[in-house]
Formats: sequence, C-alpha cells, structure tokens
Amino acid sequence: MLLCGYMAQELITISEAAQILGVSVDTLRRWDKTGKLNPIKTSEAGYRLYDRSQIELYLNDLFVFAKEWVLKDSEIPSKFYCSNSAAFQTKLTQMQDLLMGVAELSSTFPLLVAVAGEIGNNSFDHNLGSWPDTPGIFFAYDVHKRTIVLADRGLGVLATLKRVRPELNTDEQALKVAFTEILSGRSPESRGNGLKFVRKIVSENPISLLFQTGDAQLALAKEENDLNIKTSSEPFRGCLALISF
Amino acid sequence: MRVELKKFGTTLISRQNGRESFAAFQPQLSALVENENLELDFEGVITFSPSWGDEFLSPLLKQYGPRLILMKTGNPSVKATLELLEKINRVNFKIS
Repeated sequence: MLLCGYMAQELITISEAAQILGVSVDTLRRWDKTGKLNPIKTSEAGYRLYDRSQIELYLNDLFVFAKEWVLKDSEIPSKFYCSNSAAFQTKLTQMQDLLMGVAELSSTFPLLVAVAGEIGNNSFDHNLGSWPDTPGIFFAYDVHKRTIVLADRGLGVLATLKRVRPELNTDEQALKVAFTEILSGRSPESRGNGLKFVRKIVSENPISLLFQTGDAQLALAKEENDLNIKTSSEPFRGCLALISF
Repeated sequence: MRVELKKFGTTLISRQNGRESFAAFQPQLSALVENENLELDFEGVITFSPSWGDEFLSPLLKQYGPRLILMKTGNPSVKATLELLEKINRVNFKIS
C-alpha cells in the first residue's frame, strides 16, 4: 500500500530530453539557468539528468492532443479547433492580446503571433478545397508554459510543394526546401515563403520550433543554422508544429 | 498621399485578408496623381506577416516602384516581413 503513489523514475540525458521536447541541448541548458525547466538531478560526473515523465508532462497535453489528432484523427476539444481561416484569425488575435500583457514578451510577442500566423495560414492556404478528410487546424497555446501548438490533417508539405517542384520525392527534401529556399515568382501560386520567415525569426529570438510533416521532423532554435532534420518513427500526412518561447 | 495601414486592421496576417484589403484600397489609389508618392504608415499595426504583406505590398511595389515609400517603424514583425518581401521581389523598399 505504501507504494500506491510511487512512480519509478526513468532518468534520461539532456540529449534525450532535448529530442523529446524538440529543442536544442543549449536551449535546455538555458532553461536550467533561468529556472524554466530544471533537471531532476545532476550525475556525479556533472551531467544533467531528467525524469522522462517530467519531460512528457512539461510538453503538456496540448501537444499530445495535437499529435493524437494528426496521427489518429482522435477527438479534440472544440476550443482547440479552428474550422476555417476566419476562426483562426479570431483566436490568433486573442492570443496576441494575451501575449501583449506579458511584460517579458513586450519586444517579441508580435514575432510569436506572426510565426504562429504564418504556420496556421499555410495550412489553410495550401489545403483549401483539397482537405483529405477533416478540414481546419488545431491551434492551442499555454502562456504559462510558453508553448503554442498548431496542426493540420492536410496534404503535407511534400504534396503541396510537388505542385511547383515535381522533382521532390521525400518529406525531408520538401521540408528543407520549405524552410530554406526563397521561391520567387512561383506559378501558378505565389504563396509559400512563410516558413523561411519562421526560420529567420526563430534563429534570431529566444524561440524554438519543432515541425513535422510526413516522416520528417525538424528542430530549430536560436542561433542554430542547422535544420536538425531527422526521420520520425510516427509519420502522418499533415503538419504538426510546437513553438516554445 | 499618406495611408495609415492600421485602418485595415492592427493584426495584418492572412493572405485572404491581404487580398481583401488590397481590393478595398483600389478606390483610394485612383486619387493618387501622377508622380505623387504613396506613403504607407505602420503606426498602430501590432502584428504584420509576409502573407498579408505579399498580397498588399508586393503588387504596390511592382506598380509604383520608388514612388512607394514605407514609413520607418520599430515593430519587429514589420521589419522581418519587409526583409523577406525584398528577397522574394528582389527589390528593396524605399523606407523613410
């Protein structure tokens, strides 16, 4: 009976914790210094150790909700769902008003809103009239935990970019083009440069981004030029983004 | 002619809204006389993004070239958006 409330700790390294959270090791070190997220203990050799359940809890339910939705079309709370672009604009403006009131975000909140806006609007712009099943996006934020989560069950970046870059074959290639190549005078559609904007903002500000489409997952953080693209063991068709700030 | 962009909204984010704003702006543009500059003022705009900017500013840049003048602003989302639009259009904005 004494063990009823006991949960065994599963200690993980800072690299493993960073991978789960989709942030860089340097970001986790910074979070430790600022007290945003501290390791559960330090090893004798001085390495930071985290509890896996602590990290998963930190990610919070928002990301879990979104991931389950893109993977399994599971039910999501209606307050996290925007069925159309106008609903998204309304919720985005509400988030803007909330972030505007946070003193330490006074210089960066327009950038956070613009980044979330570009990712969410991309979903609507690229899937309008082509949603494979559930239209609309998942959009939720937690100002206390400093996270914003967006997801869609759309065509995904590869299928969208293939319209103008038919030579692309993998999700990784598509993700790389989407985040790095400026597409000028694209025909028949001019849209598609928003993710370059997202990358620039993240690289210059205390913001990190985890973005997955298909089986390709990217992790961006401040002052990191590498896209850190890896293959995910849980592929899905649309897009999933976690912004931490 | 000086135009305050906040009249189109303070959160200028989506392509759809950018297109609608550009269409709504056309009657005002017809009042612009030959060789008159078109000055756009960002004062009061809270969030600005490349999607809205590409639909509104890019066609104005093509049409008016150096006659399009953007008023200087400290808003980081405006600055970052203008930098990207300059790369996309391969032309620099005239900023005053």
